[in-house]
Amino acid sequence: MAGPYEIFVLIKQVPDQGSKAGLNPDGTIDRAKAKRMLNPFDRYALQAALHVKRTYGGRVTAISMGPPPAVEILLEALEHGVDRGYLLSDRRLAASDTLATAYALFKTVTHVGKFDLIFCGLQTTDGDTAQVGPQLAERLSLPQVTYCEDFHLDDGRLHARRIIEGGVQFVDCVTPALITVANSYHPLAYKSFRGAWRVQQLQRNPEELGKYIRTVDLDIIQADPERCGLKGSPTIVAATEKVGELGGNCSMYEGHAPDELVGELIEKSNLKEFLVA
Amino acid sequence: MSESVNLAPPSDGEVLVIAEQILGELQPVTLELLGAGRYLADKLGGKLSTVIIGHNLGDIPQKLIEYGADTVYVADDPELQDYRTLSYRRVVCDLLETFKLPPHIVLLGSTTTGRDLAPRIAANFETGLTADCTELDIGPYEHKSKVDPSKVGLYEGCLYAIRPSFGESLKARILGPWKNPQMATTRPGQMTPLAPDANRIGKIVNIPVKLQKEDLRLVVAETVREVSKGVRLAEADVIVAGGYGLGSKEGFELMHELAKCFENSAVGASRKVVDLGWIPYEHQVGQTGKTVRPKVYIACGISGAIQHRVGMSKSGTIIAINKDPDAPIFKFAHHGIVGDVYQIVPELIRQFKEKLTTKGEKTVVHTH
Repeated sequence: MAGPYEIFVLIKQVPDQGSKAGLNPDGTIDRAKAKRMLNPFDRYALQAALHVKRTYGGRVTAISMGPPPAVEILLEALEHGVDRGYLLSDRRLAASDTLATAYALFKTVTHVGKFDLIFCGLQTTDGDTAQVGPQLAERLSLPQVTYCEDFHLDDGRLHARRIIEGGVQFVDCVTPALITVANSYHPLAYKSFRGAWRVQQLQRNPEELGKYIRTVDLDIIQADPERCGLKGSPTIVAATEKVGELGGNCSMYEGHAPDELVGELIEKSNLKEFLVA
Repeated sequence: MSESVNLAPPSDGEVLVIAEQILGELQPVTLELLGAGRYLADKLGGKLSTVIIGHNLGDIPQKLIEYGADTVYVADDPELQDYRTLSYRRVVCDLLETFKLPPHIVLLGSTTTGRDLAPRIAANFETGLTADCTELDIGPYEHKSKVDPSKVGLYEGCLYAIRPSFGESLKARILGPWKNPQMATTRPGQMTPLAPDANRIGKIVNIPVKLQKEDLRLVVAETVREVSKGVRLAEADVIVAGGYGLGSKEGFELMHELAKCFENSAVGASRKVVDLGWIPYEHQVGQTGKTVRPKVYIACGISGAIQHRVGMSKSGTIIAINKDPDAPIFKFAHHGIVGDVYQIVPELIRQFKEKLTTKGEKTVVHTH
């Protein structure tokens, strides 16, 4: 079988760390106030999923877990050409660590149905763990290709190039499989005018929109609440401490002409020890 | 008076390090993990074990003992020649099943391999895993939250897995003392290996390899390692790194030109510019890139966000050039110039070249 493919892509809404809005006094993020955005790593996963659809044919389903506003990134995904979206939203998911998150996503994926490929971003910018993809693959007993830079499909078989320490590796495996996409993959293309227009029309008609984006909870996906959220998480954040103001004894060279500044730097630093002979 | 009781699961304090080798060469992060593991095992009063997986492993098991392991489990099989998620996962999971008590702690490196393998093992055993730690320790913890009453109590011997968090200047201490093993991956370059000791005594145990058909679903067609042409960030004495402040892709030509002034140098970059496609991923320094420890790090137009700092803060001398006097990098750099990279760097290059052509100047080498 060479297609069409049933393609899932997992995406997450994260706080925009570039904006200072929504920071607590201790430097943590006030998620209620912070600006929200699609996890930058997931943009590569979306591009990969859409690439499969455009090249080999198929249907792309975006799946996300998060509070209700996360529907925004599913709409964004629709604008890019994704066919439908599922949002898993439930208060009982609060404080999920990666293990509990992967369990909840596993139940969601199983609820949504059969698939050939699952794409995930390499990691998120709010957790930075890169664990949820492989943990989901474990629960689904799938082969996985992490740090995937490029790939093609051939008769239902996945051929991929992945990053390893100091090099790259060419691998191939059967589908279904789970792929986490490295940020050296192709960047997400611009939204099409048609996609944006379509979503705009849908937003005017909530009933019609409901056919494309479904919100589900733990009961609908038949997940065990004991395995979700804080209860289902084997780890907790027990303490955070502010990293002490480092150094503080930086020698600053300010206010002179560049040649003087540079002369002073060369004189006072150890740079010249390393110059080519 | 606290009514807390110790509910920590039974343990003999064993710490297991999952060793990593490439083409028969132990990876530096493994030696670092053995150093950290030795410290943790001694504090717990347990032994330090390690498992090495591959084919034709030569003297690696002996070397693991020299670097601190009490027991080395060896899984040697032609099918294990290349790292593959499912087959390596099978070996580790099978090994863990043979333990009477699960190890107290399991550690892996935050390499592409460790980050690929660790989550699968943790998910299989339904246990906690903390990614990319920069410090590890052991200590007590009293859990008071009543959300889950069965977890309330005093726990001894908790793994303190410490990692940078929230993309801010914070360190988070992640704990999971309710279940063993407590797992963590650690970032290369963060822990200190022990000095090797040829007289250290340990046990080498060959373990059976029982791969199943489903463990071989992925095939490695080819592995390409860049031996000479790759970006040698880890070994460079001097790194010239560029950030968003360069303004454009072309700024990296200037970075390369500056790097050429130094012996054994390399060009680094912040994540933002890699994401923008100004320079390939292999140049990226920081939490999602490489950890580096050059003798000199020249940061050009890099603000110094925590994610970048994690990757380069252990550099010998940090020199920052940035237009913004409030850039966080000036808080931890050793030398700072507030100014335009496009004025300062060409001037640096000019003065270096002048120095090289002026006889006698180069012989003046200061020792600090």
